[in-house]
Amino acid sequence: MRTRIFRWRAISVLLLVLAVLGLLTVLFAEPVLEETTEEAGTELLGTQLDIGSLDLRPGETAVDLGRLELADPFDPMKNLVEAEAIAVRLNPEALAEKKLVIERLTLRGMRFGTRRTRPAEPPRGDGFAPTLLREVRSWARQFDVPVLQLTTIDTVRQLALDPAQLGTIREARALAARADSTRRALQSGFQALDIEGTVDSARALADRLAKADPARLGLEGTRRAVEDVRRTLDRIEEAKRRVEGLERSVREGVDLLGAGLGDVDAARRRDYAFARSLIQLPSLDAPDISGAFFGQVSIDRFKEARYWAELARQHMPPGLLPKPEPGPDRLRASGTTVTFPKRRDYPPFLLRDADVDFTIAGEGPLGGAYTLRASGVTTYPALYGRPAVLRLTRSAEGSAVASLRVDAVLNHLTRRLRDSLHAVASGVSLPAFDIPRLPFRVDPGRGRVMLDFAMTGERVSGRWSIAADRVAWRVDSAGRALSQLEELVWRVVSGLERLEVTAELRGTLAKPQLAVRSNIDEAIAARIKALFGEAVASAERRVRAEVDRLVEAQVAPVRREVDGLRAEATRRVAEQRRRLDELEVRLQARLKALTGGLVPGLPLPKLEL
Amino acid sequence: MLTLLKLVQSLIKALHSEGTPGQVAAGIALGAVMGLTPLVNVHNLVIFALIVILNVSFPGAMLGWAVFAPVGFLLDPVFDRIGAALLHHPSLVPLWTDWYNTPLVPYTNFNNTVVLGSFVAWLVLALPIYLGARVGVARYRATLGERVRRSRLYQAITASKVYNMYRLFRPE
Repeated sequence: MRTRIFRWRAISVLLLVLAVLGLLTVLFAEPVLEETTEEAGTELLGTQLDIGSLDLRPGETAVDLGRLELADPFDPMKNLVEAEAIAVRLNPEALAEKKLVIERLTLRGMRFGTRRTRPAEPPRGDGFAPTLLREVRSWARQFDVPVLQLTTIDTVRQLALDPAQLGTIREARALAARADSTRRALQSGFQALDIEGTVDSARALADRLAKADPARLGLEGTRRAVEDVRRTLDRIEEAKRRVEGLERSVREGVDLLGAGLGDVDAARRRDYAFARSLIQLPSLDAPDISGAFFGQVSIDRFKEARYWAELARQHMPPGLLPKPEPGPDRLRASGTTVTFPKRRDYPPFLLRDADVDFTIAGEGPLGGAYTLRASGVTTYPALYGRPAVLRLTRSAEGSAVASLRVDAVLNHLTRRLRDSLHAVASGVSLPAFDIPRLPFRVDPGRGRVMLDFAMTGERVSGRWSIAADRVAWRVDSAGRALSQLEELVWRVVSGLERLEVTAELRGTLAKPQLAVRSNIDEAIAARIKALFGEAVASAERRVRAEVDRLVEAQVAPVRREVDGLRAEATRRVAEQRRRLDELEVRLQARLKALTGGLVPGLPLPKLEL
Repeated sequence: MLTLLKLVQSLIKALHSEGTPGQVAAGIALGAVMGLTPLVNVHNLVIFALIVILNVSFPGAMLGWAVFAPVGFLLDPVFDRIGAALLHHPSLVPLWTDWYNTPLVPYTNFNNTVVLGSFVAWLVLALPIYLGARVGVARYRATLGERVRRSRLYQAITASKVYNMYRLFRPE
């Protein structure tokens, strides 16, 4: 009997199974999607995303989200943004390709900076966002923020410095190791140069032909001699190119060592500051005073800007190469999911244009009408072809925030990523903050705040400034009496009503530099100098002498080593070049003699008429 | 324990179902894909539909699933490597790019290394699994089959109501 291929009567069971699956989808799609969106959003942004409700409108390929809350990654008790309702209409064609292209985005009931009832859970694990958060926090800690100690200056206090705490010694050791490896690299470079054979044979040829007479050599002998000379000249030319290559390497190595010496000097300056802090000696330089007062609060702003910029860089990479990402969480291994972008096709995510007008109701400081425009927010900027642009504006003269404007441009079209943010708010209620290590708190009241932040490749720059006309200073010494210095500073600041602070960030991500200026630093510095200048200067000299005594034993030999290496490398390269030049001149002269000056390509002396 | 019991039940039912060794082996080979690849994927829905409507042994498919599910877990790192090698192979990238940008295809999750690697591994192993299972079932029936059929355990299992449900999918 022939076995049949199909089992038709089981189709009813299959249909039943499919119907059950369909029913389950209808029943559970929304809660599952809500949970998935929360999880994906939290992982993507590195901060808790809560969604109150999610309704699917399949007929319109739209999703309605209710009560969305996005926590501030740097403050678990604060929401960055809350929205009562968000309606998202998706492109059905793109959705068929499992891509999210948002055609229309509508937001209602937006609120910013609200307090949370429950603290947000900090991001955990080794995902990109938690790692970035840790990295940004450690980046913020590397800034050399001066600390203003205003306890009584004790000029006789013993300074106990542990050499292991001094960065100069670490830098000097690292530089010594670099100098060693540079020396070895140069040594092997000189060995690999291998010009001895060329020099010897060129010298032998030059000696052999020194007294050769073309008439005695005959036509054939002269031709061979000319060929020998040309061949040897070619080898000399090649050897000179190798010497030039080595010279470039030498220059790079020497420059690197020079930069290392600069790092050692910078480390020594940091060690002076560290030693000063051990005996609680205040710096009387105006920028240090501003740094001590407003450094930390400035760094916090730049830290937040950098976090979001780095996140955008991660999720909006340049180019069109396949992009691997961790696969979904499941019982089985997650694996890696790779996206394969295609030119003139939809990227996996695209917010083409969002044009949102929303109003924050009430008498609160942020109440008023806002306009948010966003375009080109995509996971593959190269497919979209234009930078992502975000603009938030608000104007409401007379209210707590008179005007607000935020512009961000994320240009990830090429490998050289350029991100910039410009935010200005005037008439805004500026948050009060404590002055680090000092019993003072400043409440700037209403004023103007501005933040510029840009990252281009690895370079970073930023400017944060606040200006306020009715500043209130408060002293909070927790019951203890203020020191004489603190009293002095308090007298200066408590009389100030206007506050202007500008913090500037420059440099690279690896080595950022912060400079802070304010209108109070000169006044404080002048008052302290007038009263305690001599005592501070004497203590400062003592600090420097102590640091120098401890580090000089390490630094001086390294400096000698680097200088010696620089001189030796330069001398050896010059020596090799000189030998080759000398032989080249001799051989050129012989060639001229052999050919009677009729050699094509032979450089002739320039005639001056 | 329950899983083990189910496995034994599947094993006995598969080996003693009315299907020919070929039908049981085909069921095992098709069921293996559900065990080897991550379950919640579109291709497994298609495979399930095939198991139901094709005249293969349903218990055999359940046996294949049960036997190859732990194998799948064990071999996930290997599947991950196979999938990664295929997805990143320069000559295949144009193909994946076309598939990724074709409606509905991305929902198969073919662009996940474990899904692709395990599915390709199953494609390669399907024929050896089928041939091996066919030989195994035939030898079993010729040697141990009758003794097991007379055992009390077998009687108990075949008397259960669940077995009647299985009979719906009995090969014709």
